[in-house]
Amino acid sequence: MKRIVVPGELITDKRKKTGSHVFVREGKIYSEVIGLANDEGEYASVVPLEGSYIPMRNDLIVGVVSGEKFSGYDVGINTLYPTYLSKKEIRDRLKVGSILSAKIRDIDERREVDIENIRVLYDGEIITVSPVKVPRIIGREGSMLNVLKDGTGSSIIVGRNGWIWAKGGNIPLLIESINKIESEAHTANLTNKMEEFLSKKAGKKVNAPKAKEEKAPKMEDKNVDKKDEMIEDEKGDLIG
Amino acid sequence: MTSIDILSELKSNKVAAEIKAGRRLDGRKMDEYRKITIENNISDNADGSARVRLGDTDVMSGVKMIVGEPYPDSPDKGSISVGVELLPLASRYFETGPPREAAIELSRVVDRGIRESKTLDFKDLCLVEGEKVLVAFIDGYTINHAGNLFDACSIAAMSALLEARIPKIEDNKIIHGEYEGKLKIKRKPVLNTFAKIGSTVIADPSIDEENAMDARFSVSTTEDDYMCAFQKGGPGSFTGEEISTAIDTAFKNSKNIRKLFK
Amino acid sequence: MAKKNETKVLVDKKGKRIDGRGVNDIRPLKIEAGVIPNADGSASLEWGQNKVIVSVYGPKECLPKHTQNPYKAVIKCNYRMATFSVPDRKNPRPARREIEISKVSGEALEKAIFVERFPGTEIDIDIEIIDSNAGTRVAGLVAAAVALADAGIPMKDLVAGVGVGKADGHLLVDLNKDEEDADDAVDIPLAILPNSEELVLLQMDGLLTRKEWDKALKMGIEASKKVYEVQKEALKKKYENVKVKEVAK
Repeated sequence: MKRIVVPGELITDKRKKTGSHVFVREGKIYSEVIGLANDEGEYASVVPLEGSYIPMRNDLIVGVVSGEKFSGYDVGINTLYPTYLSKKEIRDRLKVGSILSAKIRDIDERREVDIENIRVLYDGEIITVSPVKVPRIIGREGSMLNVLKDGTGSSIIVGRNGWIWAKGGNIPLLIESINKIESEAHTANLTNKMEEFLSKKAGKKVNAPKAKEEKAPKMEDKNVDKKDEMIEDEKGDLIG
Repeated sequence: MTSIDILSELKSNKVAAEIKAGRRLDGRKMDEYRKITIENNISDNADGSARVRLGDTDVMSGVKMIVGEPYPDSPDKGSISVGVELLPLASRYFETGPPREAAIELSRVVDRGIRESKTLDFKDLCLVEGEKVLVAFIDGYTINHAGNLFDACSIAAMSALLEARIPKIEDNKIIHGEYEGKLKIKRKPVLNTFAKIGSTVIADPSIDEENAMDARFSVSTTEDDYMCAFQKGGPGSFTGEEISTAIDTAFKNSKNIRKLFK
Repeated sequence: MAKKNETKVLVDKKGKRIDGRGVNDIRPLKIEAGVIPNADGSASLEWGQNKVIVSVYGPKECLPKHTQNPYKAVIKCNYRMATFSVPDRKNPRPARREIEISKVSGEALEKAIFVERFPGTEIDIDIEIIDSNAGTRVAGLVAAAVALADAGIPMKDLVAGVGVGKADGHLLVDLNKDEEDADDAVDIPLAILPNSEELVLLQMDGLLTRKEWDKALKMGIEASKKVYEVQKEALKKKYENVKVKEVAK
C-alpha cells in the first residue's frame, strides 16, 4: 500500500536502506516532502507530489533559447540555475525563442548547467507540467507516452524539466489528457484509465504498444533516483 | 531573462497568431468574459467586504470607515479613498514594497470608475459640518493574477461598498461591531477592460492575452447609460471606431455583471 | 466588548470559557492547501475568526545579489495585515509589529526547511491576514508551513503552533481577543517542530510565574499537536479529493 506522507512524517522505524526524499533521525526514516511513501522492499523512499525541477546529469530536457551571446546561447530549462549552450555544439543557427531538446551533461560547482545531444525542434509548442509528474506522463517503459501519441497523433518529447514539446495531431486533446494525468498522478491504473479516456475521445481503440524508437528518458547515473525506479519497477504501478 | 519569461513570450506569439485567425486560446468569443463569482462578507472586522474571482484571477476588497475632518472647500462632505495593492501572493513578479506605477494606475482607475459615477452622496458621510465626517477606505488586494485585475478589483470594490454598513458613532468615535444602517448607493458602475492584440479588440483579457496586447482600454458604465471613466493604457493605439464598438460591448456586458451584485 | 480595565469573568466555575471552550480547547480550525494557482505552494486557513492566506514562491534566484547566501536558501517571510482585518483601519504601510512578526516567523520556518540544499536562492513566504481575533501570528505560521510543504520544498518537519497564556487567573490555550484583553493577560505565542518538540517560535508578554510556565508549555505542545493533525489532513486532502471524485463516478 502506498500512502501519502507529509514532510516529517514517519515512514518506518525498521532498518532499511534510504531511497530518495527521506532522511534519518534517531534511527527512524522520515519523509522530507509531501509524496507517496514506499517501504515495502529493501528501501524506504518517497516519490514527491510537488516540487520544482532540480537538474541532474543525463536528464532529457526541453529548453528554449532565451538570449544570444557572442559565442553561445542562454537556454531556459525551467530551473533557476543558468544554462549555457556553446555555438560550437550545434550547426544550426538559433534565435531567441528556438526550442530544443538536450541531455544534461553536467552541473558544475557554480551550479551552471551544461547540455549536450542538442536537437533543434522546429514549430510545435510547449506544454508545461509539474516536473514531479513527468514520470507518470512517460509511464513505465514509455507506456503512457505511447498512449498519448496514439490517442492524439501528436509528436511529443517529454522533458524531465516539466516542459513538453508537441507538434501536430490533436493538441487540445493532448493538453486535456496531460492535465488529467497531472491531477490524477497519484492514483493507480492511470495508464488504463487514459487508454479508455482517449479511446472515447478519439473514437478509436487506443492502446500502448511497447516503446520502439523514442524511449523514456533514463536516469542512469542518478543513484538516488535509480533506487526509486527499482522499487517502482518491482511494484509496477507507480510510474506505469 | 528567466525561463518563465521566455515561455510567456513564446505563448504571446501564439496568442497573437490565434487572435489573428479569429480564435482565443481559451475558446472564448472576442467579447466574452470569464466566469465571475462574488463571495460576500469575507472579513468580520471590515464594514463591508468581498472576494471576486474572474476566471483564475482572484482579488478581495474591504471597506473600513474612519472619522476624519472634511476638506476646507467641502465642509459638509465626507469622502472615499479607493486603493489596490499588488500583493506578492498573486504573482512571482509582484514584489513587496512601495507601490509602483502599475499599482498606482490600477488604484486610480478603480477609484475613478466608482467615484465619478456619483454613486455616493458625500453629504451622507457628514457627521458635524465643518468638523467631523466619515471617510470610507475601500482597499483591494490581489490574491492570484490571471489577467484583468482592473475589472476584478473594480467589481470587488463595488461589491464591498454595496455591503458596507455605517458604524455607530458616539462622541465622534466609532463603536466597533455596531452599525446604523447601510451606505446609500445610487448607482452600480461596472468597469470593462479591453485589450487590443494586432488589430483585434477583445474583452476581459487573460494574463496570456495581456502579455500579448499592444494597448488596453477601460470604460466604466452605469445602469442609467452613462460612462463615468475612461483609461487607455499600453504603447499601442485605438481608432475612434474601435473605442465606440468597445463602449457598446461594455454596456452590454455590464448588464450581466451588474446582476451578480447583491 | 470587554474593555481593558473592566473585571470580567472569563472562565466559569466549571472551567468553561465565554465562547464555551474548555481551557485546553482550540477554536475551530480549517486549513486548505493549494489555493493560489500562480504560487508554487499556498494555503488558506480559518481559525476562529482569524482568516489567513499564504503563498510560497521559490526556491528562486535570490535578488538583489548581495542578499544571497552561498551556503543556503534565504527565507524571505512577509507577514501583513489587510487594512480591514482589524477593528481600527490599519495603515497600509508595514508597522513595526508586522516587521517583527515577519522576522521571527521566517526564522521559525527556516529551522524546518533543508535550506542548505538551495544555496544562492530565496524562498518567498507571504502571509496575508484577512480577518483577525487574537493569534494571527501563529495562524500565519501554521498556514505557511502547509504552503511550504505544498510547494514541495524539502523539510524536516512541519511547524505547528498555538497561542497559550493566562486570563482571569486561568492558564488557557488559544486565547481570543476578549481573553487577550484581560487585566492579568499573559500571551505566549509558540510553535514547535512536532516530531522533536523543539521550540522554533516563542514570545511572551505579561507576568508569569516559573510554575505557570511549566504548565503553559505542556499545554502549548499538546495543543500544537492537535494543530499538526489538521495541517497533515489538509495536505493529504488535496490528493484524496481526486480519489473521492472517482468513487462518485
